[in-house]
Amino acid sequence: MMQLIAGQLINGIIVGSLYGIIALAVSLTSGITGVVNFALGAFMLVGAYLTWHLNETYSVAFPFAVILVMGVVALIGLVADVLLFRHTRNNLINGLIVSIGLVSVIVALVHMTWTSTPQNMQPFVTGVFTVGGVVVPKMKLLMGVVLILIVSMTYLGLTRTWMGRAAYAYAQNPEAAALMGVATGRLQVGVAAFGAALCGLAGSMYATLYSLTPDIGALYMLKGVEGALLAGIGSVIGALFGGMLIGVAEGLGSVFLPLAFNDAYGLLMLVLVLLFRPAGLFGGR
Amino acid sequence: MRKSLLNFLASAALSFGLAGPVVAQEAIKIGQIEAQTGPSSYLGFMATQGAKLAVHQINQAGGVEVGGKKYPIDLDSPDTQGSPQQGLIQLKKMLEQDHRKYILGPTLSNVFNGVREYTRGYDGKLLMFAPATAAHPELGKPGYGFLLRPVVFDTAPEGFGTYMVEMLRSKGAKKVAILMQNDAFGRFVVDIYKDSFAKAGIEIQTHWFEASTKDYSAVLARIAAWKPDYLFPGYTDAALYDIVQQATQLGLTKFWLVRGSLGPAIRNKASIDEYIAYMPKYFEEAEKTDPKVAKFIKDYKDFFKVKDFPYDLAPLLQMASYDHVFMLAEAMKRAGSINDVAAVKKELLSMTYDGLWVQKFDSVGGGIHSYEIAEVRRGGAIKTTLVKPGSK
Amino acid sequence: MRVLLLVLCGAVALVPALTANNVVLSVLTFTFILGILAVSFNLIYGITGQLTLFHAAAFGVGAYATHLSMAHWSISFWLGTAFALGCVAVVSLLLGIVCFRFRLKEFYFAVVTLAFAEMIRLGVMNWHSLTNGSLGINFSLKPSVWLPGAGALVIEGPVRWYYFSLACVVVVVLAYQLVVNSWIGNAFKAIRLNEDVAASLGLNAFRYKLLSFVLGSMGASFAGGLYSHYMGFVDPHLLDINQSLAILSMALIGGTGSVAAPVVGALVVTALPHLIDLNAEWRLLIYGLILIFTILLMPQGIVGSLRRLRKHA
Repeated sequence: MMQLIAGQLINGIIVGSLYGIIALAVSLTSGITGVVNFALGAFMLVGAYLTWHLNETYSVAFPFAVILVMGVVALIGLVADVLLFRHTRNNLINGLIVSIGLVSVIVALVHMTWTSTPQNMQPFVTGVFTVGGVVVPKMKLLMGVVLILIVSMTYLGLTRTWMGRAAYAYAQNPEAAALMGVATGRLQVGVAAFGAALCGLAGSMYATLYSLTPDIGALYMLKGVEGALLAGIGSVIGALFGGMLIGVAEGLGSVFLPLAFNDAYGLLMLVLVLLFRPAGLFGGR
Repeated sequence: MRKSLLNFLASAALSFGLAGPVVAQEAIKIGQIEAQTGPSSYLGFMATQGAKLAVHQINQAGGVEVGGKKYPIDLDSPDTQGSPQQGLIQLKKMLEQDHRKYILGPTLSNVFNGVREYTRGYDGKLLMFAPATAAHPELGKPGYGFLLRPVVFDTAPEGFGTYMVEMLRSKGAKKVAILMQNDAFGRFVVDIYKDSFAKAGIEIQTHWFEASTKDYSAVLARIAAWKPDYLFPGYTDAALYDIVQQATQLGLTKFWLVRGSLGPAIRNKASIDEYIAYMPKYFEEAEKTDPKVAKFIKDYKDFFKVKDFPYDLAPLLQMASYDHVFMLAEAMKRAGSINDVAAVKKELLSMTYDGLWVQKFDSVGGGIHSYEIAEVRRGGAIKTTLVKPGSK
Repeated sequence: MRVLLLVLCGAVALVPALTANNVVLSVLTFTFILGILAVSFNLIYGITGQLTLFHAAAFGVGAYATHLSMAHWSISFWLGTAFALGCVAVVSLLLGIVCFRFRLKEFYFAVVTLAFAEMIRLGVMNWHSLTNGSLGINFSLKPSVWLPGAGALVIEGPVRWYYFSLACVVVVVLAYQLVVNSWIGNAFKAIRLNEDVAASLGLNAFRYKLLSFVLGSMGASFAGGLYSHYMGFVDPHLLDINQSLAILSMALIGGTGSVAAPVVGALVVTALPHLIDLNAEWRLLIYGLILIFTILLMPQGIVGSLRRLRKHA
């Protein structure tokens, strides 16, 4: 029993870090552009398929594929922002619906390119670590480390660089930031591209661990939103923790209760937290 | 695209009493309602492809020759998107507007449930080849004389389920853990196999998951603690790839499944011990040994202009697709009519068709066909056993 | 405008006399039933300004409650509907109290309603003994209406269903219109425009948001009962997130500014896949493009845009 719990705690944290990176993308883009972009899940989908395609069809080594994919998806995010989301700044409902439309478009394109046949990539690193009866696949551990690193770097970037602090300032007070000379338009587009890149990374990590079908984006988008709300929009490290908490809630819930209700465990926790801390655990603007 | 819009407007106009130009030569009208997009689209995709190819080949040869005349086939194959509402409206259009008498599909049980009540009573006016598991209980019932189910029922005496459970018993398995999608089909599968396992003296433990699940770590850890002899995972490749990979990481290395391709086994060949699966047909090998299959694969690639043949999905052609279009054509020839549904049905029920599969129907319209059981061992060696109907 | 509306009503009422085409009648019947669903959603979203993603759950729970009560207690469709309305009223009341008491705004409200809808869906999927889980329930019970002179009329067949569902949507729209035209409706609109200002002027925002949410969800429940009896079965897919998103599309495409406009959206969403028989993936692509362009180019929806054109003409 202890092994089961320990195992699910670790697994929950790792799986949750994947949720967390999407939560971070949600948090950043919604904080800066005022809109929750559901298409971030679709960007993850594209990232996953592109990584698989590069690796299987063109034999690009995984690390290079990841970097390439992040660049491509960032570009897609940029284009989407300039063409579409530029017109829905701070209009939450409109932005939400446009993003839902974009999701359909992207999923349709993925469908047309690769059909709905499930695909499966060879993991970049195979094998498992076994510590005291608890099994942790090596690739999962690697993913966890990489994602935590990326989030930490993002945090440092936001707090230590000029651009990052400008972004922070903008999120706190858009007018003041504009008065201070922050190029708000470019900032928003930049954040949109960065958020997309994060999702591209999430997609690459996903692809090396799980099977691919055109509908995976929606699931992770929801988990990402849960994580972002749990933490509170605006908190960077918080988003990662939010995702991890959702992952752990699901994992531990599934140990004691049926797996069939897996999604409900995270949702229930989110609802309870929101009722008592409506701004999220680390939020508060 | 535009053709359908014009068709709709034309038929709407006609139905409002406006005259229109009288159209073409008499054709055999077949409809197909399958899900081509959506989460269960892999089930409908192959069925649609196979039917299209069959119709194309028949029409290229001039059509079906019945009573001295040749009739082309007119196939309408819209996408239900897995929605019962869509399927119902599409079927109404096919039956009442286009006067189609022969329907392929649906394979999805929820779509069948959506059209079930509407079609009841269509005996003598319709033949429906519905592979949906929800169709099975209605075979032969009053009001459902039009219903045929081309897929053999798992636990029928001729069924592969019966064969496979016996296989398991003879291997000395005592405990089987079931990890199944919590959807209509998954529930159905567990229901029918529960009894078979009980009769074979095998103890089971059932765990359900939402179809969109990707990470099975928690439930697999629980299952591993129970130390089963085999894991019985279900039933789509989308889930199987993940279940097999994650299960082997936790020391569960023996798999037994009644739906799903060999892809997950081959992908994980270094870590599995045994992977026993029901395969309507193992196409990779059949291509080398059966000229009919080889020709089909070549025709498929030429017609659809693809480089790669979808080997993993091809087994799904057995359901209500390529072979059945030819069976229908043959039945019409023998009956001497394209519109006398009762006569055509009689011929279908009395023939044995040898196409990609050996197929026939029992007296209530249930399917009986040849199939293969594949066993994959560690390292990737694949052994297939062919089982022909009536040979047990 | 009134004349146009009357002509339209006349045309709609005469459709079955002009065509026996079952496809057209079916598409319109679905339009009317889903129209009730979209209109009730719009009461909460378009009129009161609260984006709820709970609507599919109300739809599904209404469907199950109507059927299960009829099957277990041998009551009529109308009693079953009343029971279902009661169930959904209670559930949405509780959910509404929870959300609005804690002052959940905008996006948070949407996500929490979605969370509850998902949890209820999982509940329905797994409570096998009551709902038969994902297998769903097939049935052939039909509603019947007592008409003076004709006695009890069972609603079966395309023509009767057409008129029945038409009557239902007209009644529902009129009922909601009455509410919106009253001081209650004014309160709803005030909340949508600026909740804080409304509250500072003495409006009990909590009470009115709750009322809007409950009334809207009850409409969804009624639509659920109708839909499931028309199709002859219930299954958990009725509670899917995608159903909620489809309802949202209907409201947007039709127009969120008026009570009846979403029916037009329901027509478009229901009929379009059958008018344009495209390759499956193209249809998904076009659906996405329609959503995007509707928001960016036609935010008032079809009805709203027509109104604006008329004003400028």
